[in-house]
Amino acid sequence: MVREVAESCVDSLLTEMVASYCNRFYANKPELAARRIEAIGYQVGHQLSERYTMERPRFSDHLEAIKFICKDFWTELFKKQIDNLKTNHRGTFVLQDNKFPWLERISIDPLTDKVNSAEDATTAENKATSTISMHLYYPCGIIRGALSNLGITCAVTADISNLPACSFVVRVKA
Amino acid sequence: MIVCVAVVGHQNNPLYIQSFTEADDALKLHHIVHCSLDVVDERVNNPKKTGPLLNETFLGLLYPIENFKVYGYLTNTKVKFILVTTDLDVKDADVRNFFRRFHAAYVDAVSNPFHVPGKKITSRTFAERVSTIVKSFGLSSAV
Repeated sequence: MVREVAESCVDSLLTEMVASYCNRFYANKPELAARRIEAIGYQVGHQLSERYTMERPRFSDHLEAIKFICKDFWTELFKKQIDNLKTNHRGTFVLQDNKFPWLERISIDPLTDKVNSAEDATTAENKATSTISMHLYYPCGIIRGALSNLGITCAVTADISNLPACSFVVRVKA
Repeated sequence: MIVCVAVVGHQNNPLYIQSFTEADDALKLHHIVHCSLDVVDERVNNPKKTGPLLNETFLGLLYPIENFKVYGYLTNTKVKFILVTTDLDVKDADVRNFFRRFHAAYVDAVSNPFHVPGKKITSRTFAERVSTIVKSFGLSSAV
């Protein structure tokens, strides 16, 4: 039996989860909130990778596993593939998604849009950046969880220098 | 008839082991499963060069011992499934089918948010599902 979840529900859940952790549970400790959100993602990724690798042969190297994440895993999660994969062949992979679905429907609190001075503009922008990066700890955790279950210990960070494109940087630990 | 199934984690830690015999031979079956882990390692580290079958999850017959046959299966996440059977005339397709359904049951069990990865599987639902799969083994009518 295939069970499906509405996209909008997942979107709302993610937004609400990030909001709860940042503004309620760990309001004064953003690093701790980030770690907790990442940990939730890790568990989800860990479980999903078990399910989605069920019918396929074992991976022989890291690149093959990363390709699986880019193609099949991403398709299962977002109905699209990663748009661009770069690697330095020494353990660093950059997965770029030109239109990351989980960032599409994020809007910043309209109050911060009322910009009076240049200083306000910078503050608003910083706030927007930190809000967006908060929402990316969860997908980072998913990638890290999936890879670690496939036997690859790594660190995953997100890069949002050119929105709405978003890059996930995977650094494999030797 | 299947006499024993086992799930072994990636550090060779037992996650689930269940025997299906009346007699008191659990220890003996555990020993057989334990021995099979070496064979799995050997298979994985020295794969036969057989083209598309390379790195397949199903490892086939690991070894026959006394009147048992031991089959193995290794998932992408380095979790091993071991099957001990007394049937001497087993069809490969049946075993494959068994492992496929067993893997599905395993995935559902570890997707339980209350399951701690790397710890023993204590779910009663999983145990029931496994015993259903075991009972239907070899019956071609079962899908």
